Amino acid sequence: MYPYEAMFLVDPVKHTEDAAATEKVVSGLLEKHGAKIHKFERWDERKLAYDIKGHKRGVYLLSLFEMPGKNLRGLRDDCELNETILRQLILRLDTDIPTYLAQCAKYQEKTREELESRRAARREDEDREGEEALDDFASVQE
Amino acid sequence: MREKRDKKDKKKFKRFAPRSCRFERLGVELVDWKDVATLQRLCTGQSKILARKRSGTSALFQRKVKEAIKRARYMALIPYAGN
Repeated sequence: MYPYEAMFLVDPVKHTEDAAATEKVVSGLLEKHGAKIHKFERWDERKLAYDIKGHKRGVYLLSLFEMPGKNLRGLRDDCELNETILRQLILRLDTDIPTYLAQCAKYQEKTREELESRRAARREDEDREGEEALDDFASVQE
Repeated sequence: MREKRDKKDKKKFKRFAPRSCRFERLGVELVDWKDVATLQRLCTGQSKILARKRSGTSALFQRKVKEAIKRARYMALIPYAGN
């Protein structure tokens, strides 16, 4: 059994029709291949950066699970054949799932903090020295 | 002449971020490929990955950034090119 992280991009049309059934398709596939699901999470429907199979929007499903390594091929093949799943990314984790979750949470918290403090600093700068701060802003944006 | 060159040098310096790795400063272990906001700040307007010189990222974390951006691109979280 290895820890995996997988993200599935599912058809938004099918998902709005019947959210539970669509999610069942994915979790069913995982269970079929002997995965022990630790976390199963849905992201809100969002716009895709580029079209995938004619879709401009998509629903993301993120899952963390443990599965025997020999079933990975089968899971990938089934995902490819499934019409609900537009795209999938299955990654094997270096660490176990609780550690990974903790690291992700820490990352999120730290980057959020940094973003806020940068925003605050920028605002201060702009107040103090209007033009020069704008220059800096432009170079950061670039 | 001398003055002119000094001015030029100064301008050149300003373009680059100070040499301190953002991720090392934060003390994180990984670069999360699901965090779109952070990844986008490591890309140019044309979605190219920012060079280490520009972002100040350390070699270790630049490899992680590269991996994270490529994963996010595959899942259409961020674009391969353009906006």
